[in-house]
Amino acid sequence: MHGSPPNSRKQLNLVVNSGMQQRKSISFIGPVKTNALKGHGSANQSRIGISKTIITLPEMKTVEKMNIPSNKTIQVLDMNGVDVTPRPLYHPDPLSGTAKPNKLLTSQEGSLGSDFISSYSLYQNTVNPSMLGQFTRSVLGSSSVSKSSVSTTESITEDLEEPSYKRERLASFTDLRVMKATPEIIITKEDLEKNIEIILTETETLRFFDLPTVMISVESEEAEKITQRNQNYEILCRNRLGNDLYVERMMQTFNGAPKNKEVQCDKIIMEEKGIMATTWDLYDSCSAPEISPLSAKRSAIESCSKANILPKDRDQKLQASNMERNSETSSLMDIENVILAKVHEDEEDHSGAILKSDKLHQDLFFMERVLMENVFQPKLAAYRQLPILKEPEPGVSEDILECEKLDEVEEEIKKEDEEEIEISTEQSTIPANLERLWSFSCDLTKGLNVSSLSWNKANPDLLAVGYGQFGFKEQKRGLACCWSIKNPMWPERIYQSAYGVTSVDFSIGSPNLLAVGYHNGTVAVYNVQSNSNHPVLDSSESPQKHLGPVWQVQWIEQDRGTTGDDKREILVSISADGRVSKWVIRKGLDCHDLIRLRRTTAGSSKKGGEKDKKGEALISRQAPGLCFSFHPKDTNIYLAGTEEGHIHKCSCSYNEQYLETYRGHKGPVYKVAWNPFCHDVFLSCSADWGVMIWHQETLKPFLSFYPTTYVVYDVAWSPKSSYIFAAANESRVEIWDLHISTLDPLIVNIANPGIKFTTVLFAKQTDCLLVGDSDGQVAVYELRNMPTALDSSRGDVISTLLGPKSNQPG
Amino acid sequence: EVEETLKRIQSHKGVIGTMVVNAEGIPIRTTLDNSTTVQYAGLLHQLTMKAKSTVRDIDPQNDLTFLRIRSKKHEIMVAPDKEYLLIVIQNPCE
Repeated sequence: MHGSPPNSRKQLNLVVNSGMQQRKSISFIGPVKTNALKGHGSANQSRIGISKTIITLPEMKTVEKMNIPSNKTIQVLDMNGVDVTPRPLYHPDPLSGTAKPNKLLTSQEGSLGSDFISSYSLYQNTVNPSMLGQFTRSVLGSSSVSKSSVSTTESITEDLEEPSYKRERLASFTDLRVMKATPEIIITKEDLEKNIEIILTETETLRFFDLPTVMISVESEEAEKITQRNQNYEILCRNRLGNDLYVERMMQTFNGAPKNKEVQCDKIIMEEKGIMATTWDLYDSCSAPEISPLSAKRSAIESCSKANILPKDRDQKLQASNMERNSETSSLMDIENVILAKVHEDEEDHSGAILKSDKLHQDLFFMERVLMENVFQPKLAAYRQLPILKEPEPGVSEDILECEKLDEVEEEIKKEDEEEIEISTEQSTIPANLERLWSFSCDLTKGLNVSSLSWNKANPDLLAVGYGQFGFKEQKRGLACCWSIKNPMWPERIYQSAYGVTSVDFSIGSPNLLAVGYHNGTVAVYNVQSNSNHPVLDSSESPQKHLGPVWQVQWIEQDRGTTGDDKREILVSISADGRVSKWVIRKGLDCHDLIRLRRTTAGSSKKGGEKDKKGEALISRQAPGLCFSFHPKDTNIYLAGTEEGHIHKCSCSYNEQYLETYRGHKGPVYKVAWNPFCHDVFLSCSADWGVMIWHQETLKPFLSFYPTTYVVYDVAWSPKSSYIFAAANESRVEIWDLHISTLDPLIVNIANPGIKFTTVLFAKQTDCLLVGDSDGQVAVYELRNMPTALDSSRGDVISTLLGPKSNQPG
Repeated sequence: EVEETLKRIQSHKGVIGTMVVNAEGIPIRTTLDNSTTVQYAGLLHQLTMKAKSTVRDIDPQNDLTFLRIRSKKHEIMVAPDKEYLLIVIQNPCE
């Protein structure tokens, strides 16, 4: 082609070189107009589609005749007046999308070196197939025509090389406009965080290369024509040499000078960043709630609900603090998000906040327990009847059982883990004894008299202890404490009061309620779940409150079949003003009298009379009640012990009369207790130094014991055996086993001088006994080497005892 | 309330030291000297992180609540939290 620098071709109209005018034949024919182009193209196409033959002569002529003049502003005439205006090689086809190629070109406007253009041309090849097709056709046509005009008979495939170059120049014509630089879009922060939807769709199929088959079946319609053409072609090929139609001609292309361009960019700073994707990290980011919507794919991995991990309830009464912990755990996610903000806050504020935080309080609480456990480990293990862990000697391997104690913090009630200690082997050698494990005491309780003990019904590790003096003259302040086995050195709850506490009891239905009876007649109910020191309910304002010390309170579950409720729980108290009252919780405590204990006469010893006798006029007809006990099976029946020494069997249905009166004691009856297994038998102890066993039907005591000359303050049946009971008198604690001997106690534990034992309580699950004394200590003893009693829970204890012991001591 | 408990813990039998350090290792309340406290805090913090990561890797819904390290001479008990570490060193003499 003529050597015109490609730059000049930018213009639509060619500036014709002078050299060109001389040429007779224009080496190329510009593409004709669109509509003509199509026809032209189509003609070419068919040719191209069919074969790769060179366009034959007639067609060439056809093409030449189709020189439709195009719009031109410059007319070039050669010497002969022939219009030899070079036509533009390329007419942008308005029908096809020309935008893209234009843009492509304009973006690369800066560098239009030939090498660049070649890349572009390749680019263009791929961009617009329809365009390409036309290009191809037009250019091919023109080139082939040109070829034919200059009598080269090369195959079209070789022509493709040149057309590519031509296309480059064609392409350069399309440079019409400079594309404006797109204004920079400032990306704002919100945009970054916006969720941008990227929709990926399938584009239409782009055909990069379509090589239609050039093979046609012999049997098709066109077969003849094609064979004809093929033959023509062969003839043509043979005639090529020496034919005037075909002239070899050479052209020199103009090679643009290459230009090197170098660009240096800023140094790219590389930063390595690594993160370990742990399972919990994934889980955390998945569960982070309000910040980002949970992506669907993550939800498949983990469940996206906030995991409220409940640490196992250690103490039910501490549900409040446990709930705090739960909320702490659940808000850990929130805290994590907030913690970033917190980091920037002042540290001084922060440390103060830490100290006051509830979490710290709780952790301290646990820590204390852990410490206790460390110190008391052997004792606690003995209590729970677990193997005692020995401190390993240096050099000896660690005991694997350690791990058992390590979850002290989340300790469940270890009922299941109990193992019985082998006693039987040692039974013959060592007699049964009490071993002191530890004692609940602290500074607060020093010097106070333990007046009552009560286990929590739901949490067997929780113990309520009431401190208060018995005697009227010795009244000091009172204290009710809740102790936990896990912390023997400091009570969990402390409720102080001005009056001595005479009785405590935990509720059955709502185990967080603790009823406390005071020496001044008040009955108060505390909620041990909360940390407050104030009672939930108080009977001080009740008009019917007791006027004398409340000697016993107890929660009773009563079958209220008539009213429709199943088991309603009532609080029953007995006091020295002679009333057994039932408290209901309406607006405050309100009580109804179940019975008024009336004084009965000493009972005519002639008849062993059972009924009341309205005998001598007494100043007060009320008998102070000291204790009561409801029948384990029939909660309508209860026993009440009075100061006179009489035990009355009463019924809730009758509030005027006693059902029975048991006379035997000569002094105030301090405790009555039904046998938990044998429901006709009950036990009583009194200030006349005696402990008596009664049968329900018999009005005289069945058995009586006078072990010492001291007041027996408390008796209790063992929950494990119907033969065993414990008695606490001033100087010693005795364990009696009726199966073995009815004359002597099985175990005797002597108190330190100066201390009186005032209360006893058996531990339900373990073989332990709690003994409260007058110094404010509640000692825990383990019953060791108890004779293993077969069938110890038989209900027919009386029958076994009745047989050999038919006498009735007085 | 918290102070009382801290005091009680410290006066407990066998307790060598009690520390409350914040998340960065700065002691808030301690009964040992500063250098020891900082040393303990740094080392235990890392160990607690590792232990916590271990626990959560096994089950992401779980979390570390308490850590006890028993050594020949004494026992170190750590109650970790997001914002602080409560460390008690005890000599569990029998």
